[in-house]
Amino acid sequence: MPPRPVEKHVHPRGIFSRFKGNLEAIAIGVKYFFDPKRSTLIYPKEYIKLREGYRGFIVLVKNKCISCSSCARICPAAAMKMVKVPVTDPKTGKQRIKKFPVINYNRCIFCGYCVDVCPTEALYHVPYHDIVYESMEEAVTDLESFQKEPEYKTAKEGLPVRYIVDEVKGLVKIRVKKEGGEKK
Amino acid sequence: MSGIVRGTVGFNDLKLPGAWTRKIGKDLYEVFIGPQHPGSGHMRIIIRVDGDIIVEAEPDMGYVHRTMEKLSEVRTWIKSIPLFERMAIHDACNVTLPYVRAVEKLLGIEAPERAKYLRVLLCEINRIAAFLYGFGIFGVFLGHSTMYMWPFGDREVWVELAEWLTGARLTHTYPVFGGVRRDVPAGFTDALRKAIRYMRRRLEDYRKIFVDNPVIRSRLEGVGYIPRNLAIELGITGPNLRASGVKYDVRMNHPYEVYDQLDFEIPVFQEGDAYARVLQRVEEIKQSLRILEQVADWLDKHERSPILHDRFWKTAPPLYKKVFQEQGRAKLMAVYAILKVPKGKAYERGETARGEISYYVESDGKNTPYRVRIHSASARNALVYKYILPGHRVMDLPAIYGSIDYFPPEADR
Amino acid sequence: MTGWVEAIIKIIEWPPLWQLVVLGLIAPLAVVIYILWFERKTAARVQRRIGPYHVSPRIAGGLQLLADLIRYSFQEVIIPKTVDKAAFISAPLIALILSILPVVAIPFTDVPKWFPLPMDYSLILALALVTLSPLFIIVAGWASNNKFAIIGGMREAYLIVSYEIIAILSFLAATAMTGTYNLVDIVHAQTGWKWFIVLNPLAFFTAFVGVLLSTSGFPFEIAESEHEVVAGAFTEYSGLMYGINMGAAYLKRMIYSLLLTVVFLGGWYPLKPGEGFIWGYLAPSIVIFIKATILMMIFSFFRAVYGRYRLDQAIEIAWKILFPLTVIAFGLGLLEAYYGII
Repeated sequence: MPPRPVEKHVHPRGIFSRFKGNLEAIAIGVKYFFDPKRSTLIYPKEYIKLREGYRGFIVLVKNKCISCSSCARICPAAAMKMVKVPVTDPKTGKQRIKKFPVINYNRCIFCGYCVDVCPTEALYHVPYHDIVYESMEEAVTDLESFQKEPEYKTAKEGLPVRYIVDEVKGLVKIRVKKEGGEKK
Repeated sequence: MSGIVRGTVGFNDLKLPGAWTRKIGKDLYEVFIGPQHPGSGHMRIIIRVDGDIIVEAEPDMGYVHRTMEKLSEVRTWIKSIPLFERMAIHDACNVTLPYVRAVEKLLGIEAPERAKYLRVLLCEINRIAAFLYGFGIFGVFLGHSTMYMWPFGDREVWVELAEWLTGARLTHTYPVFGGVRRDVPAGFTDALRKAIRYMRRRLEDYRKIFVDNPVIRSRLEGVGYIPRNLAIELGITGPNLRASGVKYDVRMNHPYEVYDQLDFEIPVFQEGDAYARVLQRVEEIKQSLRILEQVADWLDKHERSPILHDRFWKTAPPLYKKVFQEQGRAKLMAVYAILKVPKGKAYERGETARGEISYYVESDGKNTPYRVRIHSASARNALVYKYILPGHRVMDLPAIYGSIDYFPPEADR
Repeated sequence: MTGWVEAIIKIIEWPPLWQLVVLGLIAPLAVVIYILWFERKTAARVQRRIGPYHVSPRIAGGLQLLADLIRYSFQEVIIPKTVDKAAFISAPLIALILSILPVVAIPFTDVPKWFPLPMDYSLILALALVTLSPLFIIVAGWASNNKFAIIGGMREAYLIVSYEIIAILSFLAATAMTGTYNLVDIVHAQTGWKWFIVLNPLAFFTAFVGVLLSTSGFPFEIAESEHEVVAGAFTEYSGLMYGINMGAAYLKRMIYSLLLTVVFLGGWYPLKPGEGFIWGYLAPSIVIFIKATILMMIFSFFRAVYGRYRLDQAIEIAWKILFPLTVIAFGLGLLEAYYGII
């Protein structure tokens, strides 16, 4: 059945509606005062352990890279650049120039195009997103640091939690393990 | 007529835009609301008040203009998707979908059915989240701090779902040419159903504390009345238009994706005042929940199938298909980066949370667009301030501003 | 040595000092700080947040307000060039003094030895003093030479006109019931749980809403409404001056709450003032303060539930609904006095 318009009207205010409305508003306020059903994240004592598949920081697996430059070409923010590196060919033992991507996190918008466009899955997302750089230069990775997963300092200080959708409370915090799956 | 405000100056004379004139005296008090004022967004409204009555209002937009249309001309086609998202960041899928569809039109392709359902899924999640965002801002404008915190808290449920689906909280970059980027993860539809039931429960709480609250009703009833013909004349769109009694919704009049196969209603309120606009949004949230339920049912019934058009998926290597089967992630072919779109013009529209957004896309066969023209909902809705603010009291300004749900970044582009 | 201690105790016990400084300034300030914390915490609970927390996690952020106070004290006080300096500086200070001054007319015991003033016309005196401070909010707004401040000041002026008569008349309903302006006699008339909130709930209700109106509590937080007039009359104030302005409103509400307690909530009952300083003065004061604090907590709770009315609607409510109710409450008081229920 396709969408169809339905005419609606504002309910007029009755004689007691003002009285009733006030009582209802105060009652719901009192109800939540005694049972707030809150799910606040007490950061940094707790931190959200994001799901696998979250588009967080990007890491390069160098030996998978085929230097196709697709990632640099599709990057909407021009954050990814190819650098030329001399490598030794394992088969022939000859020296030659190969291109590898590096990323500038000052520019990155975490759209994940590069990861999706990579034909050999040489790039992957780490599922965390809150990392502090002390300077602008630090956020520009070179080939070495692009291969390492960036240091996630919050994970050392806090307890990992995850939010799951609940019918009554909306979001419910559950504790999860630092590494891997969920904890009971 | 419930829409006439008490103490209104010359309000009945208001028939057409521009027809309302009044001599401006010298003893008027000019107040600049914005752009740093706590009660305005990234915009300014210059109001001239006579006592407590606004006699002139001039919306002054453009403080967050980012030359998006021009920027898109120097980017390849796909790079504009994350760019256009920045117009209305919490309504990302709705805002970018018409662009994607316009380019698909030029390419002569159409997304597979599963991708269409997935687009609708994220669109409606975004729509609910955007409505809740609007409610939050509206609530705090009226001094109702609980209505500020509650919708923002409940919006988190939908943002969480969107994050689970797409991998990013707000900037999803989800629809791409020919389909979408990810399939639903395992267990997603169950969580979605829980969220739907939770939201229905919460709407009842909202009704009690905000919608039926006598203070709020007094503030909103009869305030900011937009007559039906003024709404049509100014080209107001979205919930604001429907609250004035016009039966127009892009999802109904020009259905896209799978909206014509879904069973839902387009609520249309007749009153046209700020209160009707609030109820309009509440009703639309309810309808969006209905749509989501149907989409969840459809997704449960159907197995995982390709979510990108054959043009981009048929030639995909085995690794791509393996990743899709295991992770639900549709990897993009390298052709996306250098995509050349055939010569032509295309026009597409879509219904965002704030109204109709339309894209005119022209290609001259290169790998960048020749021209992308965006006509966003907020840009149209902003005009209304000039015509409906005069005659109201200064304290009505936040009520009207909030009820229009104006979003400056979307208007300024 | 003991002479000194006795002398100091004597000075503290001296009713004008005790009443004005300890009961009038220090104790209300403590209550106000507690109430501000409570208000934030209540709003947070209703709004499903935690509220103040990180300042002192052990006591649920109890020190947050102290931290805020320190911050306000050390913030630079900016006095813009365009303001009327004398009025700009003096207005909030006078408003602060005037909002705590009514406490001298409120009896905290029925032992005449501890009265700071003769109590014969204390109700009239307290009401007269309590209505003075808003004038200086208007002065502050005018002196600021800022459009938002002037609009805020004007709003305050509109509101004064509408709430004063309601607040005064509903307090005077107690006079109608007892035939006296003496607050001590009014409290005495409430012995045996014959509190006036029970005998004349209408008058209590109108007085309650009148207090909300006059101290710009929700849903009548109009003069300082942030989204139209930034901070109302206090837009140009900063640092400690802003703190004083905000504190004055709360102190005024506290004084009103004390007055409500004495007139409607049975004053120091169920406790009966006895002999000596402790049982004759301190204990009754504590009872009154506890009751007033509960009232303040109820006032604060409304922040979480209501938005704000429009200015004209607030005035309309005041004149069209509350004023007739107040007159009825006054009549009810007279009737009760006539039939000898009191």
